[in-house]
Amino acid sequence: MEVVFTRELKPFLDAIAQQMELYVPKKSNAHYVFTRYEPSGQTQVEFSNIRACTPVKEFLFPLRELAAVFPEPFEPEQIKPFAVFGLKQCDLRSIEILDKVFLEEEFEDPFYAGRRQKMFIISSDCFEPGKSCFCNVLGGQPFARTGFDLNVSQVKDGFIIEAGSQKGNDFLQKHSALFMAMPVGALVERDKNRAETQKQLEQNNAELKLDAPVQEVVSSGYDSDVFDEEAKTCVECQACTRVCPTCHCFYLYDTRQKDYFSKMKMWDSCMRLAYAKVAGGANPRKILGDRLRHRLMHKFSYFLDRYGIDMCVGCGRCVDAESGGVDIRAVLKKLNEEFKSKDKQKAEVKK
Amino acid sequence: MTGNLYQPINSEIVDIIDESPTIKSFVVVPEKEFKFETGQFVELTLPGQGEAPFTPSSSPKDTRKMEITIMKVGRVTGLLHECKKGQKIGIRGPYGNGYPIDDFAGKEVYIVGGGVGLAPIRSLFLTLVDRIKDFKSVTCRFGARTPDDFIYKKALFGPWQQIGGVNIKLTVDKANGQWSGNVGVVTTILDRSDVDIANAVAVVCGPPIMMKFVTLKLLEFGFPPKNIYLSMEKNMSCGVGKCGHCMIGKYYVCKDGPVFTYEQIKNYPNIWD
Repeated sequence: MEVVFTRELKPFLDAIAQQMELYVPKKSNAHYVFTRYEPSGQTQVEFSNIRACTPVKEFLFPLRELAAVFPEPFEPEQIKPFAVFGLKQCDLRSIEILDKVFLEEEFEDPFYAGRRQKMFIISSDCFEPGKSCFCNVLGGQPFARTGFDLNVSQVKDGFIIEAGSQKGNDFLQKHSALFMAMPVGALVERDKNRAETQKQLEQNNAELKLDAPVQEVVSSGYDSDVFDEEAKTCVECQACTRVCPTCHCFYLYDTRQKDYFSKMKMWDSCMRLAYAKVAGGANPRKILGDRLRHRLMHKFSYFLDRYGIDMCVGCGRCVDAESGGVDIRAVLKKLNEEFKSKDKQKAEVKK
Repeated sequence: MTGNLYQPINSEIVDIIDESPTIKSFVVVPEKEFKFETGQFVELTLPGQGEAPFTPSSSPKDTRKMEITIMKVGRVTGLLHECKKGQKIGIRGPYGNGYPIDDFAGKEVYIVGGGVGLAPIRSLFLTLVDRIKDFKSVTCRFGARTPDDFIYKKALFGPWQQIGGVNIKLTVDKANGQWSGNVGVVTTILDRSDVDIANAVAVVCGPPIMMKFVTLKLLEFGFPPKNIYLSMEKNMSCGVGKCGHCMIGKYYVCKDGPVFTYEQIKNYPNIWD
């Protein structure tokens, strides 16, 4: 695969934008959001240090979409190719997770699949991790090695662009005139930057070290009081599930249009009181703590059992968005402490 | 794009049968052949109003039409009860696992049902009766609030009781003038000697509270949890294991169920809620 160098990002992004719609990170107050890139120079090129506050799922699984029309089925809109620049490794992992759900062979979601096929992924390395970032605790890292079409790393004199797919490789070859020879030492500098960011992350999260695989820690705390205690301040704003890049609950609802009926698909949240309620009134998770438990068990245990990977990427978005002070890191920490003391007790019994 | 899994098949309600004061059966004809296995469910859309999951109560042998028995409990079911013959609806599915009837072969099948829970059981019953020789026996214990609340009365009070290899006992919570049978909740007609527990499977379907106490009774009789089959009712929206509403622990009721053995779900809290 090609690895190239450029001093400026603009010509590279312009070339992408000539081929397809391009979305880039833009600073909005303390966070980044994605905005449509205008090649005319109106959009300032920014190299974001961390993930945007909005989740990448928005590009693949929008907040609300038309799922069916009847009696006459509708022709789904033809998705045009689009690119997103500035996705981070946690974002790429979240796409991998959503793929498991929506691209399942037996029940593929055609709308997700259509967008996923047309998405050109340009990831970039993180630097200066955010206060809420904890990807390293869950096996993540501040740069991507797979899952992208192109990856951009910033070094002192410019940017290293690496292809990660045939599509990405073809692009670099086709636009070779935009790039220059790799400066001596640039790749070494990239590795050094990556290692430094990784170290910084580890320092930031030094207190959140798990003593066993996360599934073991979390499932062993199934009966823990932590969920009820932590949920005490939850105000059910559901922001945690909205910004979570891996949460994918939705509900279907029906509407009547002028001369047809439609079925809509819209994001939902398992933290909502009536989420699991049936028409007869029964509700298995009436208690907030039960809902928090279910959410974490799903993320760290049930999903792993089903699909072989965890459903949390440690992006910390839920921590930033939280209005009730529920911190997933604090829950993990407490569960780990309980796990350790249980482990100790077991060891003592053995003695 | 391959098929759209959210797209219902256009269907029509061709007949409506009053079963009880709160329950009706709808005969539904989808515009194309529709195959399902007994115990699987469908998502029924009332256009513009909403969608809800139901297990067909008819035999899977009929792939042209199916019967769906619906109790009026919420908004969508309330509106369905107001529908007339000729109403256009949508059907998605079939979804879920259904009853593993091949695993029941050679065994005594002990079926305990209550209220509208007799709907999936009727489909199972008709399927079992079709190949009754494959099973050692089919023993049914059904309950309803009052004699009027029994559904499928015509078959239940007559022809079903005459089928060789089938034994049926009924009970009501409250009797009226003509009722000469047992009075009491369904657990009062369950007896350890009804079946040879070592070679039996139990199938339970009914309101959550009834399923709970029947399961406890069966455990007390010595039924191993892996031989108790429960039809779980949860909030199933997408039907394909994605939207999350119906989860019991790690299971999607819509995809891994709706039929579970008690063994599978016994350790999760609030399964009866």
